[in-house]
Amino acid sequence: MKDKIFGVLQRVGRSFMLPIALLPVAGLLLGVGSSFTNQTMLEAYGLTGVIYEGGVLYTVLDIMNQCGSAVFNNLALLFAMGVAIGMAKKEKEVAALSGAIAYLVMNTAISAMITARGGVEAMAANTTTSTLGITTLQMGVFGGIIVGLGVAALHNRFYKTQLPQVLSFFGGTRFVPIVCTTVFLVVGIAMFFIWPVVQTGIAALGNLVLRSGYAGTWIYGLLERALIPFGLHHVFYMPFWQTAMGGTAVIDGVTIQGAQNIFFAELASKSTQVFSVEATRFMAGKFPFMIFGLPGAALAMYKTAKPEKRKAAGGLLISAALTAMLTGITEPLEFTFLFVAPLMYAVHCVYAGLAYMLMHIFNVGVGMTFSGGIIDLTLFGILQGNAKTHWIWIPIVGLVYFVVYYFTFYLMITKMNLKTPGREDEGEETKLFTRSDFKAKTGVGPDGSAPAGSVSDPVSAMILQGLGGKANLSDVDCCATRLRVTVIDADKVVDALLKQSGASGVIHKGNGVQVVYGPQVAVIKSNLVDFMDSPESDNLGSVTAAAAPAPAKAPAEARQDAVMSAHMSGTVVPMDQVQDEAFSTCVLGEGVAIEPSEGKLFAPADAEVDNLFDTHHAIGLVTPEGVELLLHIGINTVELKGQHFTAHVEVGEKVKKGDLLISFDMEAIKAAGYLLTTPMIVCNTDDYQSVTPKAEGAIKAGTPLLEVKA
Amino acid sequence: MKQFTYTITDPVGIHARPAGILAKQAKGLDSTVTIAKADGRSAAATKLMAMMGLGIKCGETVTVTVEGGNEEANAAAMEQFFKENL
Repeated sequence: MKDKIFGVLQRVGRSFMLPIALLPVAGLLLGVGSSFTNQTMLEAYGLTGVIYEGGVLYTVLDIMNQCGSAVFNNLALLFAMGVAIGMAKKEKEVAALSGAIAYLVMNTAISAMITARGGVEAMAANTTTSTLGITTLQMGVFGGIIVGLGVAALHNRFYKTQLPQVLSFFGGTRFVPIVCTTVFLVVGIAMFFIWPVVQTGIAALGNLVLRSGYAGTWIYGLLERALIPFGLHHVFYMPFWQTAMGGTAVIDGVTIQGAQNIFFAELASKSTQVFSVEATRFMAGKFPFMIFGLPGAALAMYKTAKPEKRKAAGGLLISAALTAMLTGITEPLEFTFLFVAPLMYAVHCVYAGLAYMLMHIFNVGVGMTFSGGIIDLTLFGILQGNAKTHWIWIPIVGLVYFVVYYFTFYLMITKMNLKTPGREDEGEETKLFTRSDFKAKTGVGPDGSAPAGSVSDPVSAMILQGLGGKANLSDVDCCATRLRVTVIDADKVVDALLKQSGASGVIHKGNGVQVVYGPQVAVIKSNLVDFMDSPESDNLGSVTAAAAPAPAKAPAEARQDAVMSAHMSGTVVPMDQVQDEAFSTCVLGEGVAIEPSEGKLFAPADAEVDNLFDTHHAIGLVTPEGVELLLHIGINTVELKGQHFTAHVEVGEKVKKGDLLISFDMEAIKAAGYLLTTPMIVCNTDDYQSVTPKAEGAIKAGTPLLEVKA
Repeated sequence: MKQFTYTITDPVGIHARPAGILAKQAKGLDSTVTIAKADGRSAAATKLMAMMGLGIKCGETVTVTVEGGNEEANAAAMEQFFKENL
């Protein structure tokens, strides 16, 4: 259930990207247009002679201003269509049309209800607005999102609907707008009754955030950053930027909801003296840490890189830092340390929250279209003049941030020996993908037994394989920096292959997989989708299948000697004396047992947990040398069904020799009538020359016990 | 290739002990025996760890595939074994 919710949220967040991608351009028009038609600005810079009302330049700039505003004023419609497109599985263009119609129908129904109930005067103050010429309830972008989600659900349900022969013209995709119209007519009527209640609730929540003052701003900033790894930040900040949760203001006689809308209304208004910080506090905090802080972190990572790898790491870090500084797209840089050093990311979240709070305290009134890069700072801060925005505090705080980030990250990396780029151990260098690597990885030899060597697009081929083949994908999309995929079987996803294809990280949540590539992801996605349409992609499935057994065989050829330590403290019991036929006749493999004196099972060697029985009485480990170990606590203890056993590790976890694996209640198990003799068995005994116990009598956990000779 | 399906009746499922006996049986055959779960995961019957990793429980239906060698006889032997032990 949790995974399913995440999957849906992921798709909702992703579907916001299309309308959001428009905002920087709309913001550019609005920013330039409004700056140079603002009387105060013109006077301040002495431009009144060049740009004046009625002049050609002024008119052009005013057109830019108004066209930019048009986008922001109709965001709800854009979201209604954009979300419908993003959430629709197929025939997306029909979903877009239906979204637009449903949005108009819903608002018209609300409008008619308002008129029937006594008009706008009968409604609570500030709860109505005029959208596309329709007098309706003030629903902000939420209205659009509700329509988008509802339309997409109806669309996915009905776009293949067959109608009886006579009506067949109205079947299939043509049925979708029809059903959406009727449904949203009803939704509109329902909204008239429901929404005022929601409005009260949202306003209350917004009030709470607004009234919690500086601390509220800090928490907002911290949470916004902390949600980025999950890709859920859009869902979190949108309500603040676009709805009454982020505040309500009356500008030039029009009621505006949402922090970003307030900022841009103030920007468009020629009477604005100072931008309201109550709105920009949900935005301005990004500037100091994006333009200054994160580049400081990048410098720290560059300085701490190994000298021989500094050049390679530098290229990666500089491009990522420049992207963050200019555009405010920080994920490429954040993801370089998020996965290798989550603690550094936690510190980053706290600092980011503080940046929001400091900007709030210093009354910095700079807004943004999309994120906090230099472009937005210039347009909405510097060009608007310090008197209106107090933008000067951004570089002042920013310089401090640069130094703080640099030293914090430098100290953390060196003290904790974190493996940031350029500090990887030998052999695990993140190298760029080449065709020969791909061949080696897929196990396709020069004999050309499979078409992989001649694949036209090796990167897409590798991504597709990493995702478990074409048949494993139910849905592929992307946001600003990640490929967002829904797979059928999450177990088939191979992170290593994806990373080799250029990804800086892979996030799994149930069947949702996010592969982080950076801003170039849009190209990667189109290439991948194109590649999936080619017949080559169908053959890859067989390559994957053929290649899969190869790694399993490989270790068999390279067996090594190994010594396993005692897995518990107690008395050594030779296998032939274990009072259980399956063990004593070595059906499961050869090994040695211990009669424990303490209820703790430890790892006999560095290994990976291969399987852990859900009854927690036995555990399978595989060592780096390939020794497959089964540790089985007691005899017939499977019948206890997990009672008295506590597991301390999980399947897939890497454990070190001596790590506590399972603890168990000796007295209780004995009382239940079971023996506690615990064999350690080499399951793949056949792969080895000999498996010999090296100790007898009393033994302490961790001392050498079992010798495995290749 | 011979295939049969079997629903596990052993109350503890294919656990350490039955898995060990099964692996021993499978090793004695000149065919490749593969156990597949309903979810598509599968393991060679000779690979004890891999088989235990499937976590097959009582009541689950598995598909057993016998390939190569004397398929007819080996499949019959395997089916017999499953009925008696699992």
